[in-house]
Amino acid sequence: MSEGARRVLLALALAVLAVAAWRVAGALPMFGSATPYGQAVNALIPDARGVSNMVAAVNFDVRGIDTVGEEAMLVAAIVGAVVLLRGSRGEGTTDRAVRVPGRALEPRADATALVCRIGAVVTLVFGLYMALHGTVTPGGGFQGGAVVASGLLLVYLGDGYPPWRRLVPGPLFGVVEAGGALAFVAAALWPLAHGDAALANRLRPGEWKDLYSGGLMVVSNLAVAAAVAGSFALLLLEVMEETREVQSGEDDAAEEPPQ
Amino acid sequence: MTPLVAAMLLLTAIAGTLVVLAREPLGQVFALAANGLVLALLFAVLQAPDVALSEIAVGAAILPLLFLVALAAIAVERAKK
Repeated sequence: MSEGARRVLLALALAVLAVAAWRVAGALPMFGSATPYGQAVNALIPDARGVSNMVAAVNFDVRGIDTVGEEAMLVAAIVGAVVLLRGSRGEGTTDRAVRVPGRALEPRADATALVCRIGAVVTLVFGLYMALHGTVTPGGGFQGGAVVASGLLLVYLGDGYPPWRRLVPGPLFGVVEAGGALAFVAAALWPLAHGDAALANRLRPGEWKDLYSGGLMVVSNLAVAAAVAGSFALLLLEVMEETREVQSGEDDAAEEPPQ
Repeated sequence: MTPLVAAMLLLTAIAGTLVVLAREPLGQVFALAANGLVLALLFAVLQAPDVALSEIAVGAAILPLLFLVALAAIAVERAKK
């Protein structure tokens, strides 16, 4: 196709897109206005499920099966990334980080290590708090799990590669990730065995604003917390392994052209 | 729209533009992290704390780190040659 024809095609496509975007934007509810779906959830869920975090109620109950799909996507993506990274590197581990030759290595200040250690503990506790109170206050399994995993980074920041590698057990996070995903799927399938819909909330909803309110949502929330914390920790660990010192004979096989 | 929301939207536009305008890879990573932080603030101002908490963990901590590790791996590879 000539360049002139391409430009005409681009102009036509932009014109169609502009009209369509204008129509869609005009049909949207006003910025900040309440929608009927949100109002219905706010009106019904506190009595029906005893939950005070409406976002968690939507995620784990109203559209629960979508969340199972999202969780499966996250786990599949992490497994794919780990397989790719290990494929060229093998499963071996070492606690020595690689050095760029000629770059000065500044020792960490004691204050940095202290702040990071305190921050890591506070972040871990905050993440666990957020995951446990998923059905009560803002946050929940995904947010709590991601915060717990990002708190692990403070260990690396404060103490460097060798302590981080010794402190963060890879196989454990693999088990936590898979166990969480398995528990979520089991929670989705369990009502089917009783002739109910998938993820139907068959447990008692409990007291409104209580830590254990939400019935089956408590189970799926904790399962998601485990799956997400395990997933992100495993991803960080495997990506960080890219900066470790390569052991002899490990990377040579990968350098050869494919047969 | 309150003045606070308007100010946060403006800040988000500025932060996003800075990510595009940054040319150095290392600068881009930190501009991206700053953009994640600004987005988290915007979500908090729009009363969506759930989304803000996800964004701050993923957009301001985990994602920039993945890019930093990739840059480090490239630097090591270049130094070998």
